[in-house]
Parts: sequence; C-alpha cells; structure tokens
Amino acid sequence: MVNLTIDDKQVTVPKDATIFDAAKAAGIRIPILCHDKKLHPFGGCRMCLVEVEQMKGRQIPACTTPVTEGMIVRTTTDEIIKARKMVLELLLLKHPIDCPVCDAAGDCDLQNLTYEYKVNANRFQDEKFQHKIDYENPLIERDMNRCIHCGKCARICDEIVSFGAYTFMNRGIEAKIGTEFDGPLNCEFCGSCVSVCPVGALVSRPFKFKARWWSLNKVKSVCSYCGTGCQLTLGVKDNKVLTTIYDENQGFHNGQLCTRGRFGYQFVNSDKRLSTPLIRKNGTLQPASWDEALTLVSAKLVEAKNAGGKSVAGLVTPRLTNEELFLIKKLFKDGLGSDSIDHSAGYAHAALTAGAAESFGSAASPSVISDIQNADLLLVVKTDAYETHPVVGFEINLGVKRKEIDLRIISDKRGKLSKLPKAVTYVHKPGQEVALVNALAQVLLADNLQDSTATGVEGFEGLKQQLEAFAPEKIAAACGLDADTIKTLARDYAKAAKALIILPLGLGYPGHGKALAQALANLALLSGKVGKEGCGVLFLGEKNNSQGAADLGIYPTAGGADADAILAGCQSGSIKTLIVAGENPVVSYPDRKRVEAALDKVEFLVVQDLFLTETAAKAHVVLPACSFAEKSGTFTSVGRAVQQVNQAIKPVGEARSDFAILNGLLAGLTGNAPYADAAAVFAEIAATVPAYAGLTIAGLGDTGAILPVTVKPRFVAAETAAVTAESGKFALVTGSALYHCGTMSRFGEGPMHVCPEGYVELGRDDAQALNVKDGDTVAVKSASGELRLKAKVGTRMPQGVVFAPYHFDEASVNSIAVGAPVTWVSISK
Amino acid sequence: MIMPLLQGLKITFLHMFKKPVTLQYPDERPNVVPNFRGLHGLKVSHERAKCVACYLCPTVCPAKCITVEAGEDANHDKFAARYEIDMLRCIFCGYCVEACPVDALKMTQEFELASYKREDFVFVKERLLEKK
Ligand code: SF4
Ligand code: SF4
Ligand code: SF4
Ligand code: SF4
Ligand code: SF4
Ligand code: FES
Repeated sequence: MVNLTIDDKQVTVPKDATIFDAAKAAGIRIPILCHDKKLHPFGGCRMCLVEVEQMKGRQIPACTTPVTEGMIVRTTTDEIIKARKMVLELLLLKHPIDCPVCDAAGDCDLQNLTYEYKVNANRFQDEKFQHKIDYENPLIERDMNRCIHCGKCARICDEIVSFGAYTFMNRGIEAKIGTEFDGPLNCEFCGSCVSVCPVGALVSRPFKFKARWWSLNKVKSVCSYCGTGCQLTLGVKDNKVLTTIYDENQGFHNGQLCTRGRFGYQFVNSDKRLSTPLIRKNGTLQPASWDEALTLVSAKLVEAKNAGGKSVAGLVTPRLTNEELFLIKKLFKDGLGSDSIDHSAGYAHAALTAGAAESFGSAASPSVISDIQNADLLLVVKTDAYETHPVVGFEINLGVKRKEIDLRIISDKRGKLSKLPKAVTYVHKPGQEVALVNALAQVLLADNLQDSTATGVEGFEGLKQQLEAFAPEKIAAACGLDADTIKTLARDYAKAAKALIILPLGLGYPGHGKALAQALANLALLSGKVGKEGCGVLFLGEKNNSQGAADLGIYPTAGGADADAILAGCQSGSIKTLIVAGENPVVSYPDRKRVEAALDKVEFLVVQDLFLTETAAKAHVVLPACSFAEKSGTFTSVGRAVQQVNQAIKPVGEARSDFAILNGLLAGLTGNAPYADAAAVFAEIAATVPAYAGLTIAGLGDTGAILPVTVKPRFVAAETAAVTAESGKFALVTGSALYHCGTMSRFGEGPMHVCPEGYVELGRDDAQALNVKDGDTVAVKSASGELRLKAKVGTRMPQGVVFAPYHFDEASVNSIAVGAPVTWVSISK
Repeated sequence: MIMPLLQGLKITFLHMFKKPVTLQYPDERPNVVPNFRGLHGLKVSHERAKCVACYLCPTVCPAKCITVEAGEDANHDKFAARYEIDMLRCIFCGYCVEACPVDALKMTQEFELASYKREDFVFVKERLLEKK
C-alpha cells in the first residue's frame, strides 16, 4: 500500500495504482479522454494532467503515472486548467463540431469537457478534417473527422476482442485510425469500439438518428441470446427498444457485449412479431381473440388431464425466465399429471442434466466465470467456444494475453482462439472428443499423476479398468493425433496448479452430451482440479437460461418422454396434445423431415412464440408471447449466475408473456388462485429448489447472485460412440455461427446484415480439389437429404472436414444432419 | 370624496377627443411588432428546411408540444422527416427558437390561429415551412 495526498486528501492505494486510480478512490474526478479502466494505460490525450509537488510542479498525466509514497498531487490549479483548455482547443481545431447532427451529443466526452471548461473560442485556426466517411457496413459508421485519436477503439479491438481491426496510420496532423489497407471495416461487429469511443466518430448505424441519448429511458436487463448472461442496458423510447447502451460498470464483462447483444435487439420491435392469437380454421391460421384461443387450449388440456396426462407433452425453450419455466413444469406436473417435457432436443442439456448430475452430483458447473482468469491452464473443447459464447471468449482472450494463461484447445477445426499467443490447438478427427479425453485421463493414471483425493472417489477402480482401452497408442490413429502429443497435453494439464476445462453446449453440437461431460469430469476429478479457484469444468449452456432450465427440471425427471420420445409419440399417435413454448424444432432439432412429420401428425399443437416460426406455422393455436424486454423475472446463466431481467416496454400488440399465459392455464387446471407476480413465483422457487434457497428477487439487485453448489464426485465411465468414416465423403460438423444464437437472432437486423444465410465451410485444399471458390453454391448430400449451400473457403477446416451453422430455415442443415456428432456428406458443384 | 370621481370623468372626456386605441378588427389590421412571438416558421435555405433534426427544441420546450423525428437522406445526412407543433399546447415562450443551434426556426407575426377542428391545430412540417 502507498500513501499519498491528492488535493489535501490522504489516500492509501495499492502500489500498482496510478494517480488517476488513487484520485478515483478518494472521490476526486480527473477528466479523461483516452483512458479506460479495462485497457492498458495509454497517455495520449493529456486531458488528465495533474501537478506533483515533488516533480517541481511539472504537469504529468494522471492515467499513466504510478503512485509513489508521499506524493503530493494537485488536480486543479489555474495552470492545469489552462493546459486542459489548450488540449481541448487543439482537439477542436480540426474537429467538425457538428453536434446537432452527431449522435454522440449529450453523451460525448469532448462536448461535455468543452462545456465544463468553457472553451467557447479558439485561439488557433486551421482547416477542418476532410476524411471520407465509411458507410460501407450496415452496423458501424466511421466518421474519422470526429476522431480525437484516443486509440481506445484500436486498443479494445486488440486487447480484449483480439480481432485487431484498427491501427493508427500516417504521421502528425495526417494521423488517423485506419483499417486494413484503409478499406471499409470488415470485422466481427461486436460494437466494442463503438461503445468505448468517447466521441461520435464511431456510431451504431441501426440506431443512427433514432433518438437523442438523453431522451432514452435506460433499463437494465440481461441479454437474451446466449448463456453467458451479459448484463445490458436497453435504451427505450415510445415503447420501443431503440438501442443497447454501454455501461462500463455492468457485469463481470464491464459492459462489453458481442455482436448479438449489441446489435441483435431489433427482434423485440420487429414488424414480424405476432400481434394476436391465431387459430387454425379450415386449414389456415386466422386471427382470434385471447378468450377464444385460451378456451380452446384449456378445453384440450382438461381433456388430456382427464385421460391421465400421458397424451400431453411439452417442448420448452430455455429462453424463458426461471419463473415461466417453473410455471410450465408445474402445469405439467400438478396440472396435467405428465412428465413428458423437455428442452433443447434433449441432447443439448444432457451434459448438465445427465453428465454433471452423475459426475458432480448436481446439474450445474462446479466452476464460475471468474475461474477463467484465475486459471493457469485452460483446456477448451472446440474453438467454437468463442462463437457460441463470445464474451466468455473475451475473458479467455484477456486471460491469455494479460495473465499468460496457457491455452490448449482440443477441436475438430481451428478457429479464432487458435490464433491467441502461444495457444495450442490439437486438431483431432471429428467425433473423437470422448476417446481423446479418455486418453488424457488414462495418461494421468499411467503416469501416476492422479491426485491423492481421486483414489477415494466412488467408481475409481471401474474407471481405471475402462480407461485401459484408451491408452494414447491405441486411439492415436483414430483420433488423428500422435500418442506423444496426447501424453504431453495430459501431463501439462495435470501439472498446472490451476486448470479449468471449458465445454460449450448447444443444439449444433450433438457430440457435447453426457459422455463428453463425464469424460471431462473424470479428467478434472482424477487430477484433483475440482472445487478450487481457477479449476473445474465450466459448462457453457447454449441459451440465456439453459442453466435455469436444468435447475428447474425442464426435462423428464420421473420417467416421462424426452424430446426424442415426444416426437416419436406424436408420430405414433400416443401423444395427442403438444405444447411448444418458444422452441422451433422444425429448424433447430435434428432430422427436419422427422420433426415435420411428427408435428403434422399430432392432433393438437399449441405454439407460444414471438414470431410465426416454421413450427408455429404448423400449429392449431398460436399464442403471441413476449420477448425478454417485455417481462420481468430472472435468468440463470453460465457459472450459475442468477440475474434479474426488468421489463422495459409494454407487450407488443396483444402479446402476453408466457408467464401470464401459463399462470392462467395453471390456475384454470388446478383451481388454485394464480400467482400474483414473478416475485411470488421466485419465492416458491427459493422454497422448493435447494440451490435457490434464501434468495429473493429484490435481493438479487443489479449484480445478481451466484448459486451455491456442492460437488459429490463420482467416476462414471464415459462411453464412446463409434464413428465410422465413409470413404470418399466429407465429415460434416455442425455448430453456431458467431453472429447467431439459436433461431431467434434471425429476427434481428444486426445479425442478419452480417450473416444472412447458411453456408458450408471448407478448407482450401478440399475446395481446390473440388474446384469450388468462395461464394459458389454447392450441393451437400447426406444419406438423409440434399442441400444447396454457399461455400465459404478458409483456413480453419482440416482436410476432409466441413462445417455448417444450424440457425437458418432456408437450407436448414438439420435436413441433412440427423443428430449424430458427424454426418458423412458428399459435396459437388 | 367627489374629487377622485371628477378626476376620472376628466380622463374619460379627454379621451373622447383622442384617436381610439381599439381596432375595428378584422376590418382594421393591427401593426404587429417584429419581435412578436406568433406561429412558428421553419426557415428554408437551398430549397430545403434548415432544420437538421437535432432534437433541441423538443427537449427545451416546456409545454412538450414539438415532435421531431429524424431521417437519413440519400447523402447520409440528418433531416427532419417529421416536424410537428401542437399549437393548442404551445405557450409561445420562444425557447425553441432560442435553442436552435442552426437558426432554423423563427416565430412569425402570424397570430390568427383559430380553427374549427382540434386536428387543425397540429402544424405539420409542410404548414410550418416559410412561405416564399
Ligand atoms: S463528437 Fe462530440 S463534440 Fe464532436 S460533433 Fe459529436 S457531439 Fe459534438
Ligand atoms: S466492432 Fe468489434 S471487432 Fe469490429 S472493429 Fe469494433 S471492436 Fe473490433
Ligand atoms: S474512433 Fe473514437 S475510439 Fe477510436 S481513436 Fe477515434 S475517438 Fe478514439
Ligand atoms: S455473449 Fe451471449 S449473453 Fe453476452 S452479449 Fe453475446 S449473446 Fe448476449
Ligand atoms: S432546434 Fe432547430 S435544428 Fe433542432 S430540431 Fe428544432 S428546429 Fe430543428
Ligand atoms: S486520459 Fe490520461 S492522457 Fe488521456
């Protein structure tokens, strides 16, 4: 600790603090333009000048100067104010000062400081900048005339996003922030640069000119795309969500979002939203009143209940709030007497609900997000962890670059994470994850590297026996990695003091199920890396509330039918009534033909959704539901974080929240009074779900809470599924595209501008052999169907392996993939 | 007691021989002073409204009677796609004119604003544009 005096106030701060940090701790504000707490100090703008007595009153930047013992600092003397005014005058010299048409006005650091320091005339004169404005991309407008060269955009894109789209170019007065060859911006469009730009040089195009910053109502909420659970602030005006607002104090991620969170909010106010209930009459869906629709649904449910409940089933999206999930589970259990309810096609949650549940004793990750930066070694399964959970990816970037965490990736392709400094990617043959992880565990045992606690864990002997078949030498050839490489990886993992395993889950990853989760759990348990800081296994649930869906039992818990059996039941006629709440199985579940046939067959299909999805189009009754912006409740995200969602706008059209719909149906069926509000349901969750015990919705506040977990370790042999390569064919692996999450992002303009359609990604060699160029349309044919997809040629894919994202309806990849980790396809032009 | 009364009558009588202060409106028209704050006018320059839709006038307006919606034109510039003033709510304070950073707004000498229908009191952009 270091003691110093700032403006006559005594401050004690850690010795790595800067004068700026010390002043902040003492509640003294020093103006800044180029400093950001998330980034390395830069010292470019000189706005933060202060005087230090020991330096004979020389003016030094507060943001880059470390504190020293006994320092006496003055932050506002006449001299300093003069210097700051000069800084502003020089910045304004070539600046266009077009505040009336600049979207930053009102939230512009330059404007605010100019006002504060009363700079109303300029002693200097020069021409204004004449840079060409970049209007080329649909999301970020770059007006370098307004740029003040703070370098924040270039730094954040490099330090945190690790994309590196910008750099300073030219010298002196010609200097500007440039892109690759000074061309149009073509990047990940995460919008991080837009959020940190202190002026209006980088603005969000979807929000351009829509409203003034000060007229927006700012509502704190949680992103409703992936499981990372980023907190965000919605900018609302006239019952419309107009933008997401950057708040550097929100969440573990300091307000950073990915492209979906930042630019994908438009689905909320999309004009494709359903506005009234629809009922199928004479074969077509026709608008109806809520009364009519609900009476019909209730009647069918009562019928099903009286028939014993076996004939009714539900497929529920993990995008609903915890309270809604609780209600639907209760509706099935108490109202209908059915246990046939499931989510995410059954397999995308099995890693948690079956894998973690057996190996760790509860269906949750034993680790939390902060473990990422506290680890010494990260073992990431698939480079796709970046695509599925981009902001978790930022944490990995930061850990690797700032804390020199050793990053190891086992993956069937290379990806963005592979490019991080010193990252090692072990590219194995598709579908071999479980075998490879088993081999790692086998090496631990063979080398006697297991932790002393491991031998006492139940199932140890059995595991030892099972693993014998997985000696690296035995599986090396099938995995496509040599035995020594596998051994080195295992030893490095075992020897790291703190090592964390990261496993992304999702509908696009059928292989990331129970077996892989258990293989990884075995590895972590064997090396004693569970239940300690920076250790364990972090499961990345796909959707915003995937963890909540696991906690609240949105899967058969008493012998009911799972998603697969539900679809089979619809097909065979044993299930007569199907409630689909927010899921879109037609596009996202494997084997589209089978799903469509099942849904066409079922007697009565009710769909609650925001949009007339491919699934809703088949329904007998469609109920218009609400987005996350229209309701309050809680989501539980990766690392067991429960956070509050706050209603920002009134329901669009006649839409009703799933909460209201389910609450009404439940009360009707059970004869009990409906719940008063989300808080009442949350209270019941707290009373019945052990992990939530003691929590209240109000007590969660803005930061949320981390659910407790007790690990009851057990070794369970992880079964491998045979992958039989078909000669002359390509291995198709599916997954998520960076800009999308599930099928909802298709209704956001942002994601659709950047990634509007499905594609198939091939390696260069394969493309050359097939004579396919980037952008060509190719026919992809599997045993179950054929698709025409645009080819994307790059360096990521190893020879013989191709990748396709799953989110799209047209050319939906589930019409050729039937849920196996690898689908064998032939590709022709 | 009688004196103030006579004083008053004196003034009355004197006025009988002066020019009347009232006007025979509408046959006679008043002479409106230049800084009178009447109906708003949107100034035009280079064939288009000068207003750049900065939203300062709706922000400052104490009666909250101005509605602006910005649009983006073919050159990516900002313009007022919608500009409306609800004259039933306007209190003629002139703050909007004062706030305008580009001198796009003025208040004219137009004071005859009566109408038969409520809707007619909402002056849309076309009605506010300065007449040539
Ligand atoms: S960047 Fe700031 S100072 Fe510059 S025009 Fe925009 S609001 Fe005004
Ligand atoms: S949007 Fe993200 S990836 Fe693109 S330049 Fe900005 S920070 Fe970099
Ligand atoms: S574009 Fe914005 S963030 Fe980037 S250097 Fe210029 S002012 Fe700073
Ligand atoms: S990482 Fe996930 S939660 Fe965070 S902003 Fe992106 S989509 Fe939303
Ligand atoms: S203040 Fe002037 S430029 Fe701004 S919206 Fe009003 S009239 Fe238009
Ligand atoms: S904030 Fe310190 S130099 Fe810019």
